[in-house]
Amino acid sequence: MSDALQQSLDRLARVRGMRGSMWVAAEDGLTVAQLLMEGVRGKAVAALAASLARKVSGTAGAVGAGTVRFVQMETASGTLLVAPAPPDLLIVALADPQVNIGLARLEMLRAVRAVAR
Amino acid sequence: MSTTVVEPWAEEPLLRYVAQSGARLVVVMTPSGQVLAQHGFARAVDLMAAAALGAAIMAASGALAQQLGERAFGALFHAGQRHGIHLAPCATPRGPLVVLTVFGKETSIGLVELFHEEFAAALHRAAPAEAVRAPVLAADFEADLNRSLTSLFRR
Amino acid sequence: MSLVNFTTREITCKIVYYGPGRSGKTTNLQYVYAHVPDDRRGRMVSLATQTDRTLFFDFLPLDLGTISGFTTKFQLYTVPGQVYYNATRKLVLQGADGIVFVADSQVRQLDENLESLRNLQANVLEQGVDIRGLPMVLQFNKQDLPPELILAPGELDQALNFRGLTAFPADALHGAGVFETLKGVAAEVLRRLSQGDGAVRRI
Repeated sequence: MSDALQQSLDRLARVRGMRGSMWVAAEDGLTVAQLLMEGVRGKAVAALAASLARKVSGTAGAVGAGTVRFVQMETASGTLLVAPAPPDLLIVALADPQVNIGLARLEMLRAVRAVAR
Repeated sequence: MSTTVVEPWAEEPLLRYVAQSGARLVVVMTPSGQVLAQHGFARAVDLMAAAALGAAIMAASGALAQQLGERAFGALFHAGQRHGIHLAPCATPRGPLVVLTVFGKETSIGLVELFHEEFAAALHRAAPAEAVRAPVLAADFEADLNRSLTSLFRR
Repeated sequence: MSLVNFTTREITCKIVYYGPGRSGKTTNLQYVYAHVPDDRRGRMVSLATQTDRTLFFDFLPLDLGTISGFTTKFQLYTVPGQVYYNATRKLVLQGADGIVFVADSQVRQLDENLESLRNLQANVLEQGVDIRGLPMVLQFNKQDLPPELILAPGELDQALNFRGLTAFPADALHGAGVFETLKGVAAEVLRRLSQGDGAVRRI
């Protein structure tokens, strides 16, 4: 299992503009596996991304929108991407603004499917 | 929710920590279980019991670490059904302190750990060095003590 | 170390009941707990073994009321008496403002009392505190037992009270001497605060 997690992060790291990615325990907000560039505060990203995912899921539930599959948050200096991998995990990626989001999303959803198997 | 501080310098860091971490209860205490600041407790006596037990856990785990030739443990975390408990030391110029945090499902251990680090740093910056010793009670306190104990013991 | 809040005018002191196993330390706290009003005490916490021997400590917070304009709270702790629990005894002793040494008055327990007193002195010294400077009272418990089984207060005074401390004969199970002892140690601790030579955390 841990090999599969690490391999998926390796693949995600090949996407240009990626600063780091990690598997996070959805409920705890703690890092399970990570591959980060120097200077990325993994612990903070993990905790806050899990919190964000929980809030977005809550909102989606409240408006009857169903299960959240992907969260994308763009800011002036970067992009945070989160994909839930039920039942326990999230895959989280932190990237530069010019990252190819489509490609990153594809890799993340592929990783989620691989972990589900 | 109530927040009380015995030492005013602890108030601002505590309020920020509570807001950021989403904690339900927080106690800042000395290693011997004396409360310096708290958030969320309704009764002072419940607070004292929580502080005594928190300090005891830290003291016992520290002694165990010492016996194993380890440095003192960092944070201790208990994941309960409805509550998580996070217990961690914090060094200040005032001496070592212990922070007990109780949190619910609305936040996570990751967030608590993250903001505990900032809280510990803020306490370290805010704490003054040990103050001077000085007389506290009036010399004729004994009449008050007798009256208080008589009322306490109803005799 | 007493904690003094000059803003809200509150004092919190830690009192530790020390003594050999089965001398009646927990019984003292249980009696106090059962005989003070609900609104003046917290829950009594007992970390005990399955056979009800103290494993770590008993803890009872008490609100003494207002003394010299300060709301005064006492935290009562007991230590486990058995010799092999010394590590936990040391932990409970940390930061104590006052000690109640509960001696077992039975003749056959005299050596245990002496050993426990020596152990107290060593543990306090290990924390860098001279026991002679620590507020302390003695309690000669189980004075209700038949006279042939026990030592009288005068004899116990001779055997154990090297420092001329205030000593209280007691029967903690039925309450005799329990409050007098607590009052005695409270007075010693607060006297220290009135003299300003105690280790006081001050704002």
